[in-house]
Amino acid sequence: MRRVVGSNYATSHAVMRARVEVIAAYPITPQTQMVEHIAKFINDGIMDCEYINVESEHSAISAVIASQAAGVRSFTSTASQGLALMHELLFSAGGLRLPIVMGVVNRSVGSTGGIWVEYNDSMPQRDCGWLQMYVETNQEVHDMILQAYKIAEDKRVLLPIMICSDGFILSHTVEPVELAEQEEVDEFLPKYEARHSYLDPKDPIASGIVTPREYRQEFAYQIHRAMLEAKDVIGEVNRDFADKFGRDHSGLIETEFVEDAEVILLTLGTVTSTARGVVRELRKKGKKAGLVKVRAFRPYPAERIAEVCKDARAVGVYDRSVSFGVGGPHYLEVRNALFDSDVPVIDFIGGLGGRDVAEADVRSMYDVLLEAAKSGKAKRNIEWVNTRGVVLG
Amino acid sequence: MKEIIFHGRGGQGAVLAAQALASAAVFEDKYAMAFPHFGAERRGAPVAAFARIAEGRILTKAHIYEPDYVIVLDPWLAGLVDVAKGMEGHEGTSGGVPMGSVKTDICQGLNREGAAVLNTARRPDEVRLSLEVCVGTVDATTIALETLGHPATNSCMLGAFAKTTEEVSIGSIEKGIMDVFGERLGEGIAERNVKAAKLGFERTEVGMCSGGREFPAQKKWLPDVDELPPGCVIRSQDTEYGKLGPGSTVQNETGSWRTFHPIVDDEKCTYCMLCWFHCPDGCIGRVPDKESVSVDYFYCKGCGICSEVCPVDAITMVREVEG
Repeated sequence: MRRVVGSNYATSHAVMRARVEVIAAYPITPQTQMVEHIAKFINDGIMDCEYINVESEHSAISAVIASQAAGVRSFTSTASQGLALMHELLFSAGGLRLPIVMGVVNRSVGSTGGIWVEYNDSMPQRDCGWLQMYVETNQEVHDMILQAYKIAEDKRVLLPIMICSDGFILSHTVEPVELAEQEEVDEFLPKYEARHSYLDPKDPIASGIVTPREYRQEFAYQIHRAMLEAKDVIGEVNRDFADKFGRDHSGLIETEFVEDAEVILLTLGTVTSTARGVVRELRKKGKKAGLVKVRAFRPYPAERIAEVCKDARAVGVYDRSVSFGVGGPHYLEVRNALFDSDVPVIDFIGGLGGRDVAEADVRSMYDVLLEAAKSGKAKRNIEWVNTRGVVLG
Repeated sequence: MKEIIFHGRGGQGAVLAAQALASAAVFEDKYAMAFPHFGAERRGAPVAAFARIAEGRILTKAHIYEPDYVIVLDPWLAGLVDVAKGMEGHEGTSGGVPMGSVKTDICQGLNREGAAVLNTARRPDEVRLSLEVCVGTVDATTIALETLGHPATNSCMLGAFAKTTEEVSIGSIEKGIMDVFGERLGEGIAERNVKAAKLGFERTEVGMCSGGREFPAQKKWLPDVDELPPGCVIRSQDTEYGKLGPGSTVQNETGSWRTFHPIVDDEKCTYCMLCWFHCPDGCIGRVPDKESVSVDYFYCKGCGICSEVCPVDAITMVREVEG
């Protein structure tokens, strides 16, 4: 069924179709509608689910950790300060290997900051043992919620996953979304069967216990290995989904015009769409520009990035958050991926606190890259885009 | 550099003793460090603490595996664990992950030129360990009960250490106790501990023990990364390492922690069950035939609450005798 909806609705619909049985979430702008839609589905009797009202995000994540540990498919969602409040428990979800799905509607964490998109809420959570994927459209949010359960519940992965969508730019923008029917979702995503963590009074478990030093390191290694294996699983699930639904989101990364590209820009989230237009425009002018939409941030597809960028003469990275005194977190990943390459890598920090990243901004990034490709070196490695008093390039 | 391991039970002051020893060494213009074995220690459970003494700065921040000296604060530990062994035995008490029995050997790794300082009523030649080494013995529990009123043997054993090893003087031990115990427990208690240390120094006998004592081989649940259950979610199970998961604590012989044990006089007992009501560990059982009570000595920690609450003085606390 095709409808014009925002990403919060698209997410809620997918959560219903995934037959999630426990939800605990606390409203926070710009995620609030997600909570409201799901509550309405349950109230209307079209969704059979236990909705736990909680007094904070800390309790929301605690509740879904418990329900998922008891062996039930669970969901939560949040943004910004709410995600920061969850931080402590995120390690438990990852450490206990619970395939929880969380919808993160990205928003800056203050102060200073407001209610608009920035990735300084989700980026600091990258080391908690959660997969993180960033999306570009409302359709992709919907589709990734369905894929997320299949990825997270795969026995090679068994890790929680965040589907990160740009606050307001997706959450409050309506666009056409193909909303999945129950029958087709049931065929794609079977009923959840807990493999390692479930409650059975006849066969009790010890869970979340203190893990002394003779054990902790092996458990950490297991998570690291599962994260690496998730790279294959993300690709496989994408192909399954494409076969079933006819929509291919191309797994870890998606590329445009990279084959012969001299300069490549790597993006996360909705800036990708704007950049697609700019790249096409540059191609028309004969500029060899390429674009990589990075979809998975954890695990980070370093090998794929290295392969795609191997013939480029300058690589740019778009960052919607900052690791102060260093650069953008995405830039650091790309530097790591290209560690044995001489190609100039330039970070473009911009769009913080929801500042618009318009075509002109993306064009200015490509201008800097084309200049670096010509000279063979970056003037500066960390550039701030559209920042008053700071000159780009 | 000399490395020292203290074996004790939670509450006997092994950590404080290690710190006081480090302080004593520093009073002699040496360099020293002391650190606890950070685990889920609790009162009565086997614990360890460590100290190093050297002429110059000590660089290592690692644990001690091959001690020059071991100091055993609790007389029963010598039976449970091999005193010439390193710290391995204590890992089993870390709590959290259930991992079976904790009765391990502590004699392994001990420097044969070093010494074991033991809290025991026996003379050195009456002690048998896995190695034939120099030992210093003193009945520290009796001294502690006399000077402090409770079986905290740490200060007394520092006196015994000074006598046995001559690594630090008893005068420096006294200064170390005043410094560390004084800061934590106040000057009055520190002075009583100095007295216990002096008595420990005076009453310690030094000699060679006999060796060749065998301790049962220890098996510990240490699965490879592929065998560990994801997320450390453990189901109740019996393994060659003992019980794992929920219910595994039944194998913890907490009765080995006590210094005193309760003896019930069936003649005096009125079967009022006040002791049953107050016992924090559920170790009191009903004996309807005799209209009296029984004690589960496998778990009874010897806290003495039953004896305190008995309205007819039918329960007496009696010192444990070395096995």
